[in-house]
Amino acid sequence: MTQFSPEVIDTIIRAAALLGAGFAMIAGIGPGIGQGYAAGKAVEAVARQPEARGNIITTMLMGQAVAESTGIYSLVIAIILIFTT
Amino acid sequence: MNPGPKVVFYLFGNQNMPVTDTLITAWVVVLLLLVFSLFLRKRLKIIPGKLQNAVELLLTAIEDQIEPMLPGMGRSMLPFIGTIFIFIGVSNLIGILPLVPSPSGDLNTALGLALVVFLVSQYQSVKVNGFWGYLKGFAEPVAILLPINIIGDLAKPISHSFRLFGNIVGGGIIITLIYQAAPWLIPIPLHAWFDIFIGLIQALIFGMVAIAYISVARSD
Repeated sequence: MTQFSPEVIDTIIRAAALLGAGFAMIAGIGPGIGQGYAAGKAVEAVARQPEARGNIITTMLMGQAVAESTGIYSLVIAIILIFTT
Repeated sequence: MNPGPKVVFYLFGNQNMPVTDTLITAWVVVLLLLVFSLFLRKRLKIIPGKLQNAVELLLTAIEDQIEPMLPGMGRSMLPFIGTIFIFIGVSNLIGILPLVPSPSGDLNTALGLALVVFLVSQYQSVKVNGFWGYLKGFAEPVAILLPINIIGDLAKPISHSFRLFGNIVGGGIIITLIYQAAPWLIPIPLHAWFDIFIGLIQALIFGMVAIAYISVARSD
């Protein structure tokens, strides 16, 4: 069995952390789909009822903000992986 | 390149009390808002001038957001929600100045604000349901869901603060990367997007989500 020197092991850990950060950001797909869906439905709603525009936009922003949380979690994990290892 | 806050000095030379650059910016923001309000308070008139008109418009807009979700509490919740909204909005806008770190790009600021919102929502729940009703609310609809309800409540301030922190830090990292690739002209629209648009939207969303949490806590 081969023995790795500490520098090689550190390099491997760093490379794995950077790869992991990249993989973590795959989670960005979900919020993208969700926010796009919410925006599309809001456009439909505004087209049907232009007078309720203000309420629809506020509700859409709230929903998008909540849908965004999973993407933000993955971003925080990616930041931790990049900057703390 | 480290996007986190940097320790500037230690309070009273105590190693356990670091003062970071984001904290100093937050103090500056608080001081600016304080001076602005004191300045405006002296000049309050029955017939408002231009500045007073603008501030009244902002406060009325915030109150109109609170009123539908917390009926009858628009006026009493206005100082709390308005302070959160204006403080976060100004802290995000101040990040547009070069070399000034945005206070909301620090998890400590965002988590602090989210914990205050959490405490207020729990207090409102106790106030509406009574202490026994508040404790019983954790064991609904069946008692076996008790740990899930507690974890669900504790997750609220975490997701609330990470949303603000992640948005501001993510924008800051993208702008830093663009500065290394193209330092001239190209970052200007990015600053306009990330600092002004995203900053104001995130301040609005932080306030709206705070109202939603309080309204949910009052209802159950």
